[in-house]
Amino acid sequence: MRPRKLLRIARWEVTKNAGGIDRKTAAIVGVTLLLFGAVAPLVVAQGGVAIDQGIYRVGIDEESPLYPVVEDDPTFAIHDPDAALGEEIDVRVSFTNAVSSGTQKGEAALSELRSSVTAYNDRLMRGEANQSAAFPVSVTLKYVERDIQIGPGGNGDGGTGDSGTGDSGTGDGTGDGTGDGGTGDGSTGGGGTGDGSTGGGIGGGFPSLSGSSGASGAPSDIAPPFPFESLVLAFLFVLPLNFVIQAYGSTMLSERINRRGELMLVSPVTRADIIGGKTLPYFAGAMVFEGVITAGVFYLAPDPGTGVYSILAIVPLVLLFLSATFLGAMFARSFKELTFVTVAITVSLTTYAFVPAIFTEVTPIALISPLTIVVRDIQGASISLTAFGFSTLPPLLAATVFYGLGAGLYREEDMFTQRAIPLKVLDAFAGRVKRKRSVFLVSIIVIPFVFLAEMIGVAMLFAVPEAVSIPAILLIVVVIEEVAKSLHVYAGYVHNRWDSTLATAAIVGSLSGLGFFFGEKFFLLVQLLPADLPEIEQAALASGGTVPDVSPLIIGALLLAPLLLHVVTASASAVGMRKGRRGYAVGLVAAIAIHFAYNYTVVVLFVQ
Amino acid sequence: MFNDVRVAIARRDIASLSREKTIVLALLIQLFIAAFSSFLVVGLTSLYDPGSVESDQLTVGVSGEAREELDRAGRAAEVNTEIYPSQEAALEAFRDGEVVGVLHSVETGPTISVTATVPKSSVQSTVTVVQVREVLEELERDERTRRSTHLSTQPVPLPPEADASPYFGFTYTILLPLLLFLPPFISGSVTVDALTEEIERGTLELLRVAPVSLTDVVDGKALGMAVLAPIQAVLWIGLLSINGIDVSNVLALVALVSAISLVVVVLGTVLALTLGQRRQAQLLYSIVALGLFGAAALLPEHPATVVAKLAVGSETQITTLTVVGLAGLAVVLYAGTRRYVGRIDPERYS
Repeated sequence: MRPRKLLRIARWEVTKNAGGIDRKTAAIVGVTLLLFGAVAPLVVAQGGVAIDQGIYRVGIDEESPLYPVVEDDPTFAIHDPDAALGEEIDVRVSFTNAVSSGTQKGEAALSELRSSVTAYNDRLMRGEANQSAAFPVSVTLKYVERDIQIGPGGNGDGGTGDSGTGDSGTGDGTGDGTGDGGTGDGSTGGGGTGDGSTGGGIGGGFPSLSGSSGASGAPSDIAPPFPFESLVLAFLFVLPLNFVIQAYGSTMLSERINRRGELMLVSPVTRADIIGGKTLPYFAGAMVFEGVITAGVFYLAPDPGTGVYSILAIVPLVLLFLSATFLGAMFARSFKELTFVTVAITVSLTTYAFVPAIFTEVTPIALISPLTIVVRDIQGASISLTAFGFSTLPPLLAATVFYGLGAGLYREEDMFTQRAIPLKVLDAFAGRVKRKRSVFLVSIIVIPFVFLAEMIGVAMLFAVPEAVSIPAILLIVVVIEEVAKSLHVYAGYVHNRWDSTLATAAIVGSLSGLGFFFGEKFFLLVQLLPADLPEIEQAALASGGTVPDVSPLIIGALLLAPLLLHVVTASASAVGMRKGRRGYAVGLVAAIAIHFAYNYTVVVLFVQ
Repeated sequence: MFNDVRVAIARRDIASLSREKTIVLALLIQLFIAAFSSFLVVGLTSLYDPGSVESDQLTVGVSGEAREELDRAGRAAEVNTEIYPSQEAALEAFRDGEVVGVLHSVETGPTISVTATVPKSSVQSTVTVVQVREVLEELERDERTRRSTHLSTQPVPLPPEADASPYFGFTYTILLPLLLFLPPFISGSVTVDALTEEIERGTLELLRVAPVSLTDVVDGKALGMAVLAPIQAVLWIGLLSINGIDVSNVLALVALVSAISLVVVVLGTVLALTLGQRRQAQLLYSIVALGLFGAAALLPEHPATVVAKLAVGSETQITTLTVVGLAGLAVVLYAGTRRYVGRIDPERYS
């Protein structure tokens, strides 16, 4: 890769592709933005959009003391109290007595009315002269670290909580983890049981933008630690990326239309120059957007960090969006297909960036998303290097994998052919699997991706009861790992890289399993994280060989056992693959079954 | 009104979608969004309404001067409370995990100040905060009643507690509009693709050799895309009904989705034909479509509100008028687009 050539291609991309006929586009963009700029204040002035406006119909007359409540809340539409309950109205209020129609909607309406009344009363009381009678109770909320074992009886954390043996295993882990204050959110000084570690305070997780923070207040002021604003922020940071990848995907795919990219391919530049050069302007553009947004947010936030972490954490996210789009553009056969691929990328990556960040205050799993780092940085919390690495390395590596696979297709014989996406995926892998030993390497390379997929699985099952979530997460993990271990081997078979003897299948299978084992060990830095991970996360890592508190002999056996497991299961799928697609399916199912049985045993024996 | 040529073009476009299996991908995406939103619903509402997920009762320890009042408020709020003689004893129980939180009260002059201790950074802390808030709000109500002689206005009496599903509002105001508006948005985007692809590949030329006019081509492509979204809408409404979510006014909803699809398809068509290149057209399409969605707040009722009100069965005259108005607008816009297309010189794309 030579910088001079790369920069020249980048310049072409900007001047030829973006600047060419663009007077018209620029004009339309300008007019559009002006128009929306003019409309936006109007929308804000009329109070934004209330989607739930008037969805519940309340029959009430002006005599009722509840009338001002119903009148104030746009969720309710006011009707005649004599209208038919259930048909025309959902709740009837006769003076102070409220009756619902009994349907789901009626009950929801009544419940909404109840919370409206509470809010209304608080507003009313705020205008009282005698404030101590209006707000007779004041609350100070303290978050205190507890050093107890997971699930002592009666705390009721779901179906599996009753196992008496379980406490010893996970309990120790918890104690250690919280002990050295590794949660990375800074506000805990010492750790342990110290009751002086007052947390975020009232108003919950994100005490800045809304201004609703404070150490104490009336009972209705206290809210669970749920960073609503971080949702808004996530939206702010992710939204511009979707526009960037629109343009980026188009320009990449248009190289493939009418063999336009051929001229570039035959010129004396490398593939890396072309891809790098065409990507650079979009990457730079996206980073400018994100930089401006970060600066704006940090300007508004009352007590922010430096912002350096935020910018650094955004880089992997931007790269992930671009790399996924690049790979999508290499796969897609037509513009239409690219649109669907882009929407799929948008939806799945937004989920990935967004959902974990909701739980910033709640659980360390949140750290799988780089946005969590951004949220913490905005809150002014300190960020440990481990937490930062845990958040940013997997997406960075996944982006590298995407670019690696896509670059394998950036050549004449693949760019200008029309093949179904699954075949293209196999082609992409086959481009990386030339010799048997490359199977080993590819197995290592896919690890970050596997890891991300598994963590998203964990995050998705976060709210499900444990009795269901543990088997479910085990199954998800096993399926992801087995597919990751076998897909590139299968690509090798499809492209006739290996002969169909049993010995070859065993060799490539073992190599794949071995590579996966090494990769997984590398990723055990997960364990450096605060150990109060929920049990499902520990279950997810079961085959990673992390078993606390058993004799050294068993630990030794358990270190080797995963190796054996990965080799056996990868070989099982490889043996099946010799017989084509159906054989692959059979082999894969067998491998999944073996792996599941193993993981389940480990979880039952040692984690619970 | 459509002759065979246009139907043939529409069919060809839809067939290419299903041949590429992209339509499968599209449905998968929507399924994912639906699953994801319901995950969000469960996750978020469980944060606010612990009763919806947590079956076991948590016990909150109370201590201090107003411990009897707190205990009474706890019973009224249906939260288990346990009285401790001192804050130390209660905190001890908290550390041992016997109680999930501690409320310590001190009477400071005319008010009661309560220090609430809850566990830090775990799912339990959320659940606990919600429980604690319920107890304290109950206490606040009791105390207000006791002090009512000192108040110039009396608080409004609280309606009874209702047995409501915490997902009800979310389902109709967020999930359903999302599921119904996403297909039209994608349809418009695909219209841009269908046209710019022909232009960029140069195959529009070939279509012109066939005995069809540019208007026929555009008609066919727009038709294909504009019918897809309402079909998906019907599908979603059907799936939701199977899941026990009743959707009222299905016909009006489908009419609304059709109108919106036609509007965005017109937008996609005009942008694709004026700009001729996917990149610019697609970029502008998403900006304009999102902008229009925001600007629709200036209507008496936002289309998302219209969907919510229609689906939940609280439609008003304005709701009906909005649907009719949008449908009329869509037809007028489409007629205008056909005139515009009729005046385009197809040679400009060669």
